[in-house]
This record gives sequence, C-alpha cells and structure tokens, in this order.
Amino acid sequence: MLTRTVAGRTFDYSHAVGGRYIGQPCSLAVGSGNTVYVLLRGGENISDVPWNRTGTGSRVARLSIPETAGDEEFIGEAGSYGDGDGEYIWPTGLALDSQENVYITDEWMNRITITDKEGKFICSWGATGTGDGEFDGPAGITVDADDNLYIVDSRNHRVQKTTKDGKFLAKWGSLGSDTGEFDSPWGICVDSEGNVYVADHKNDRVQKFTPDGEYLGTFGSSGTGRGEVTRPTDVVVDSDGDVYICDWANDRVQAYTPDGEFITTFIGDAQQLALWHQMTVDANTDVIKARRRVSTLEPEWRLAMPRAVAFDEAKSRLMVADTQRGRIQIYNKLKDYLEPQFNL
Amino acid sequence: MSENDIALMGHLMRRAGFGATREELEARAAKGYEATVEELLNPEEASVDYLDLQRYHGWTWKPGTVQGMGAAEWMHSLINSKRPLEEKMTLFWHQVFATGVSKVDHYDELNDQIILFREKGMGNYKKLLLAMAQDPAMLYWLDNNENHKDAVNENWGRELLELFSMGVGNYTEVDVRECSRAFTGWTITPKLARFPMGRFDWFFEYRDEDHDDTEKTFLGETGNFDGEDIIDIVCRQPATAEFIARHLYNFFVADEPQVPAWAVTPPNDQDAIELLADTLLESDYDIRATLRVLFNSDFFKNARFARLKSPTEVVVGTLRLVGGAEFPAPGLGDLSRQPCYMGQDLLNPPSVEGWHTGAEWINSGSLMRRVNFTADLVGDTQRPGIQDMIRRLKERGATTPEQLVDGCLDLLGPLEVADESRKELVGFVSESGDVAWDTGENIAAATGRVGELLQLIVSLREYQYA
Repeated sequence: MLTRTVAGRTFDYSHAVGGRYIGQPCSLAVGSGNTVYVLLRGGENISDVPWNRTGTGSRVARLSIPETAGDEEFIGEAGSYGDGDGEYIWPTGLALDSQENVYITDEWMNRITITDKEGKFICSWGATGTGDGEFDGPAGITVDADDNLYIVDSRNHRVQKTTKDGKFLAKWGSLGSDTGEFDSPWGICVDSEGNVYVADHKNDRVQKFTPDGEYLGTFGSSGTGRGEVTRPTDVVVDSDGDVYICDWANDRVQAYTPDGEFITTFIGDAQQLALWHQMTVDANTDVIKARRRVSTLEPEWRLAMPRAVAFDEAKSRLMVADTQRGRIQIYNKLKDYLEPQFNL
Repeated sequence: MSENDIALMGHLMRRAGFGATREELEARAAKGYEATVEELLNPEEASVDYLDLQRYHGWTWKPGTVQGMGAAEWMHSLINSKRPLEEKMTLFWHQVFATGVSKVDHYDELNDQIILFREKGMGNYKKLLLAMAQDPAMLYWLDNNENHKDAVNENWGRELLELFSMGVGNYTEVDVRECSRAFTGWTITPKLARFPMGRFDWFFEYRDEDHDDTEKTFLGETGNFDGEDIIDIVCRQPATAEFIARHLYNFFVADEPQVPAWAVTPPNDQDAIELLADTLLESDYDIRATLRVLFNSDFFKNARFARLKSPTEVVVGTLRLVGGAEFPAPGLGDLSRQPCYMGQDLLNPPSVEGWHTGAEWINSGSLMRRVNFTADLVGDTQRPGIQDMIRRLKERGATTPEQLVDGCLDLLGPLEVADESRKELVGFVSESGDVAWDTGENIAAATGRVGELLQLIVSLREYQYA
C-alpha cells in the first residue's frame, strides 16, 4: 500500500528520484532548501590498468528534490575514482556540517575528505592504523550540534569522535557481540538530543549511546521477520525520536518507536517510474514492448539492497538510497492526515 | 611425516582444490590422506560470506556485461573458499554445462548457475541434470524457450545427449527429435527489461499448453515422455556413466583428447573409466561416491603433473599460494579477468562444448600471460605466502644455490622438474654465490634473490602442470 497509518503515525509514499546521475548511491545528506547530497560508490569496470584506475563513478552528486514528483533537478557533481585529492576509491559515508561543508569517508584510503558545498576540495586527513585518530575502514559519519564528527571505524570495530579537523576526542567499542561492542559497524547518526545510533552491521542491530558512548539501548535483532534486521547499513532518527534502520540484506527499511517497539516496514513502492527512468523507457520502443509482456512490474517497485537512509525534517520525509536501482525512494511522514471514508 | 606424504597431499590439493600452503599441506598430511579426502567431500568450514563481498563490491550485484567482470563474485570464492573441492566442482560443471554470457547477456543468471553447481555439484548427477534443464540461463543459451509443441527446436535436446550425458554415437537423429519434443513447454517466464533500472531475475516456467504430451519413442522406449522421463532414460544408459566418468578423469586425473574426439579415440586408461562409470551406475550417479573412488585410486595417485593447468588453476592456485587476496581489495574485477587473458574467459566459454583443454591451453600469447602473472605474484616478497617460504628456507639454513633451489622447488609444490631445469636454476643462483641469513642486510638480499628464483621457477614448463 502507498499509505499506511500505524501506531499513530501516517506514512505516505511520495515518489522516486533517479535513473540518471546517481548510480550506486551509498549515503545521503539533506542540505538547505531542496538540496540533497548523494554519495556514489561507483564500481570496477576497467582492467589491465593500475589498481587506482580500475573504477569509475565514485563522486558526490547534488540534486534538487522538491516535494513534487517530476520537479527534481541535477545541480552538480564532484570527485572521481582514484587516490588523489578529491578522489575516492571506496567512498562510504557522507555528512554535512553547519556550514554545509561535506565530509566523505573512504574505507579503502582510510581518510576523510572535506569539500565545500559545491564540491571544491578543502582537505583530507586520516591515517591507517589502530591508534587514536587512525582508521581501518572509516564507514558511517555524522556531525553533532557542535560540529564534531562521529566516525564509524569499521574494521577496528569502534566509533571515534573527532573535531572537524580530525583531532581525536574520544572512542568506544571493540569487536564482540555484547552491549557496547560491535562487529563491523557501518552507518551512524545523532538524534536531536545528541545521542548516537550505530548500525552494528554484523551483529544485526542498532545500538544507541549517549554522546560519551554510554550504552542506552538496542533496536532490532537478527532475522527476516517483524522488527528483525539482517546486516543493517544505516540508521536515522526523526525529531519525534522514531528510528529508521536500513535493513540492507532484507531489501527494506524498518521503523521503530523511540522505545524500540517495531512500527512498520518499507519495502519500496515506486509504482510510478522516476522522471529520469521514464525518459529512458520513452526513448526505447523495445523496452516499452518488453514492459507490456510481463505479468507484473512489481519487482521494479521494490528496494534492492538499500544502503542509506536520511530524514528531511523541513519536509517531514524519509529518503531511502535504493542503491542497486540507482534511485532514492521518498516517504512523507504526514502530520495532518485524515482517513478517507472507510466504506467508499 | 615423509616427504612423499607431503608430495602426495600437494598432488591431491592441486587436483581436488587449487593447491595449498605448506602449512595446510602439513596439517592435512598429519590427518592422513583418506581423512583429507573425506573432509574435502564433506567440508565443515563455512562458505565464503557473500554479503561481505557485497559490502565492498556492490557493483558485483547483477553486473553488466560490457565490462566483462561478471566472474568477480566467483573469483572471490575461488580464491577464498575453505571448501576447495566444492569450489573445484563449480569449475568442473561449468566446463561440462558450458553456458556463456556472449549470448545470455546476464552475468547474474550465470552466477546463479555457479551457485547451483556449488550446491548440487557433489550430489546426484541426475538431479543436477534436471536442474540444468530448468535453469533459465541454460534454457535461453540452448533455445529451449523457442521449443514449442508445434515448432520443435532441437538445440537443448541435442546438446543434452551430445555434450551433457551420452556423447556422440550413442543415439540417432530420431532420438534427438523425440527428446526435444519431451522438453517442449519448458521455458522462461517473460522477464522485466534491464532498462531502465538494472537486471531482474529470470524464472523457469512449465507451460502445459505448449508441451507435446503425445507418445514418443526414445532410445527404444515408448511412452508419453516428458523431460524428467528423458533424463531417467538417459541415466540408465552405460554410455552416460562412461561419458561423465571420462569428464571426471580428464578434469581430475590426466589430460584426455578433446571431447569431440571421444567417440573415435579410446580413453588413455580404459580400466579407470570403467571403474568410475561402474561407481556412477551402482551409486545411482552419486558424484561424491565417485570422487571418493577416484581420489583414493592408484591411477589418481600416480598421475602427478599429468595435467596442464587450466588458466583458472594458474590464477587461483598462484593467488592461494602467495596469499594476500583474502580481503576483497580494489582490483577484484581485474583479477576476475586474468584467466580470460590466458584463454579461459570464465562465464563466457567459446561454445557449448566448453574449452579445449590440455596442450590446447598453450599458445605464445597465453603462455606469456601465464608467466608474467605468476612471476609478478611470486616476486612480491611481501606477500604472506612468500614470507612464509622465506621463513622456512631460513629455518632450514638454506644458503647454497643447491639448497635454495631444492628448498624453493619443495615449497612450491613440491614441484618435480627435469634435471636439466634444476641445473639451470642452480646455475642462475650460483652467479651470485651463497646467501646468508645473519644480518638484516643479508636477509634483505637473500629475500630478493629468493624472489628472483621463484620467478624463474614459475616460468618453467613444469609449473604449468598440476
């Protein structure tokens, strides 16, 4: 269904954006106005060249995504595959500071790259290792209200807190499955109170901590059923405190109350093609015919290994990076929804 | 543990897997040969974590055709699986049921076929044959989606008999026709187009209204046969058991002539083929039981270095030997292309007949690729596998040219080389005299020279044999 009212909340599917410009989206951040920053992972496609030239498509794209389907626009992009300044081998996480500077993790280069809002390279920092301020696979990244960074140091199984210039402030976590421990964590976010949520990837859960890393609670458990997750990749919390977990290996997003009660599941509802997807179809008569010979188009509606979630507070909407389909699916969280007459 | 135990274990692991490090060989030899065979047949180690690969290489999910890197997912398993025989069997069945992206144009469907080989490859051949008859990539590859009740297409029916079961000379053209009729209506559900948002799965579909349900006479039996009946009849033929036995022998024991010659050229070891074929028939086509007989047989144990390595064996075997490719680092796509540069484009065989094997793997271009690829890897002395060899040479106190050459040959296989080759190697090392393992400077120099020696050894003719 496109609209659902559950546990006092109403979620209404809005539309999808993509089909061009945003292949392999792996992280999202909501900027000012209608701007959405999309980190693109890219992929390998060139052989018999040096290792740092085997891929393409790694970059940051900026889109304008207003409320109405079809109004989206491509603003610009920056970066490319590589190990030089402003280049990325394995870009993984993206976050914005209060000035809308962009922070990008690279989990192969073990560094954080900073650009301005238009993608101009400012600097990068980070070193490989297990010491304070060193990384082995920096993945999720988020910025708190004081413009400090929380960075998931995934293959070191910990979270590090740094200043935005990379000065080490704090760390917590180690490999394990007890509370406060992690196994290959990935995404991260902070809520309006500064609490930190970490997608504890291989432990199939999200853990919540105080800003200092004191354990507060767990969302989700291992599995494919209600409220369960398999290899979560990202998490975001809206201003009501509702928690959305990107349930990657189950091809869905799971929503929970602030207390960890399961609310609902989003599996993707793109019954209408995104603007740029539709343009591709319209340009190819064979594809138009092929779409008419199938019994259903439903597999196209669904999420395929989504890697990231973001919540756009200004527009009260959840955005899901539908990674393998090269698009963003958007759900509005309605504040003033009125049910239609039931027996229509 | 005798030197022969290690040499025999090295032989087993080259054939039933892709080679093994010295540490693994020693551990397996300590357990014993037959126990190792059992462990290979019934592996207890966990499979490679597919989601780990997806995390770092999301592009391997239903990859495009043009880049030619669709075998990256498989390559990751080939290099890292702790279930080596299971993985080797995926390569075996890919060679038998050769299906190619050149026509199918969907690597994801071919990867699904590899997963099927991994799951069923050591089980029952009859069940595997049925699964292949319902495999979307195979159905499309051999046009069975064009095989209709009122317009029979014989492509699948013919290859089933010619290349997947009995072999040429054991059936008539009428049998091909009747066999094909039995598979009418075995097709694929129309699938979503790859545009605009990428690939979607294909599914087998049986269409009753398109199936010819009338009487057929096939290999002397008459009835309203469907595809399953045909597979049952095919598997009752001794020719089928002999054909699969010869494939197993060619892949695991020693090079045979190319498949099209099998109808006119007797096997190199008729007794071995008969033993394997009898085991297949007696066990109702249990591949695991047949492999057990094969690996424990004298004809297998006595066949050291009787096969030319396929390109995949060269690439995967060398990577496993030198180590360092366990984590799916950038460049996995390029690794997956390497067998192609040596003449074996994985997931894209030249035809349904698969690749020609044995000496036909080698030409001047492919040999150069083999030598360059392997020499680059063994010359990288930072690799963990090479570091381990150097540590062992040092512990053994190998300092003279003879000791270094014998030590390296031992640790690379053990590899057996002609006296003339050994003499050349000793001569090369002798040019710079003995090495020493005492000071840091001497160790660095010795390490460099071992790297050069290893490069020379993998350039020898002997390294191309398994």
